[in-house]
Amino acid sequence: MELKKLILPASLLVLLIILMVLFFGSQGKEKTPDVSSADLLEEERSGEEELDTKKIVLFFISEDDYLLHKEEREILNGSILENQIERLVKELISGSEEGLLSPFPPETKVRGIYITRDGIVYIDFSPEFQTAHPSGSSAEISSIFSIVNSIAYNFKSIKRVFILVNGTEQETLAGHIDLRRPFLPRYDLISD
Amino acid sequence: MIFLVLTVIQGLLLSQESPSIQLSVRDYSDYSRVFLESSKPLSISTERSGLYILVRVRAGDPFQINKGDFQSSRVDSIEWGRGSDYYIFTIKMAHKDLLCRPSISRDSSTVLIDITSSPETFKEDNHNGSHYDANSFSKEPANGSMQEGLKTIVIDPGHGGLETGAEGRYGTKEKTITLEIALKLKAIIERNLPYRVQLTREEDVDVSLEKRAAIANNYKAFVFISIHANGSYRKTAQGSETFFLSLNATDEETRRLAYMENNSTDLESIQSDNVDDIKLILWDMAQSSYIRQSSRLAEKIQTKLNTLSGTLNRGVKQAPFKVLTGVACPAVLVETAFISNPREEKNLITDEFQNSIAQAVYLGLAEFLDEYINQ
Repeated sequence: MELKKLILPASLLVLLIILMVLFFGSQGKEKTPDVSSADLLEEERSGEEELDTKKIVLFFISEDDYLLHKEEREILNGSILENQIERLVKELISGSEEGLLSPFPPETKVRGIYITRDGIVYIDFSPEFQTAHPSGSSAEISSIFSIVNSIAYNFKSIKRVFILVNGTEQETLAGHIDLRRPFLPRYDLISD
Repeated sequence: MIFLVLTVIQGLLLSQESPSIQLSVRDYSDYSRVFLESSKPLSISTERSGLYILVRVRAGDPFQINKGDFQSSRVDSIEWGRGSDYYIFTIKMAHKDLLCRPSISRDSSTVLIDITSSPETFKEDNHNGSHYDANSFSKEPANGSMQEGLKTIVIDPGHGGLETGAEGRYGTKEKTITLEIALKLKAIIERNLPYRVQLTREEDVDVSLEKRAAIANNYKAFVFISIHANGSYRKTAQGSETFFLSLNATDEETRRLAYMENNSTDLESIQSDNVDDIKLILWDMAQSSYIRQSSRLAEKIQTKLNTLSGTLNRGVKQAPFKVLTGVACPAVLVETAFISNPREEKNLITDEFQNSIAQAVYLGLAEFLDEYINQ
């Protein structure tokens, strides 16, 4: 009889302890990114639930007018912005489905994606982006603004795009266009 | 029948006699430019009133006004009307926080009105006074120091050495073509203009992009022209185009968004914040002071390229070219034709085509110098 009386408060106490552990534990976890003073924050990427999909708009250059044209895709949705941007870039690498110019050498890989607090996304490409690039101003311009406009159009929190190759800043993509500054999207390059 | 012929002839005579004004608008990424190009010198005054820019052209005789269709993100419309002895042109801007800057060519026949949302575009330093008048389109004589000695024009043959640039199907290398055209251009300029020409390289060697700009600045270059041959993913891409530097700092959309989010009528504060922001970005961009002169040079060269080279006109464009950023004088990059297009590649290796390109660039340069420099 007495034992039964004790069970309820005891189990409540246990429950309380569990809740407290959970609460403080999760708070500690959330704090980690804030504490980091590094400019580039890399969030934890594992364990994300990827169930639904979302529509995105990609921009590819047309050889007819040399302007950017829209092409719709579906990518997996998710809460981590870096992962979504990576999916978008992979779609760009896989190229246009409507005969527009694909901005990347197909063997290009994404090495990493980082977002700073002031809305600059750093995209680190494998060396093939440069070594297999056809070179020439037009090819470089179409590569860069295909990426920059696609990202800025779909992810409004991204203001600028900084392109890295093999983990480092490059002077130019393939001899012409300056890569040492982040790019703003060029709305004047979009076809109406 | 004879009567008809007579009226046609009369019509032709009349159209030859009556002066004309051609109106057009061109959009660049950093600003838009309204052109009033006349067949004779104009006497003008301009006035800004909110959304509108009023351009008054004094005219005894009637002008023939030609206005083509245009699409512009900064100019909504251009209307014109005639008074007793003047014409008035009303340029309606897309929104009232845009800045405008009118200017007139030295011979008074061309009026340019530049419209931008970025004060940086209109920032034209005149640090050493040895280059252009800060108001490059003003009719005031340019600085006297320019007349001392021979000025230098720097021609930059793109790529070189290990850096071959784009490559054609038949194995033509961009670095070879650019040097051949640059040498021809140097010869034509030195034969016809009172300038000396310095090349950034005279043989097949590596020269860094920074060094190229440094050469221009060390020689106190008056004009810098970089010669390139274009490359694209597909062999069908074709044509010539002339680039000037984009500041990559005119974030109009962000600016407008910030304006709307703040819902503030105090525009000044937004603009001054942005100026600081832009200054930080541009600290090492000597070219930013010469953007408008550079665009004029690009326009002049591109027009000649169209008529002389027979290539498709791809127009004047802005892009962030590394080689142009550090150059402290009007500077353009000419993409002569596509080396990745087999037909244009075959052209590019001929002396004939190279000469026509060199001739076109020379003529564009000469017109530019003539329009802006009091010699």
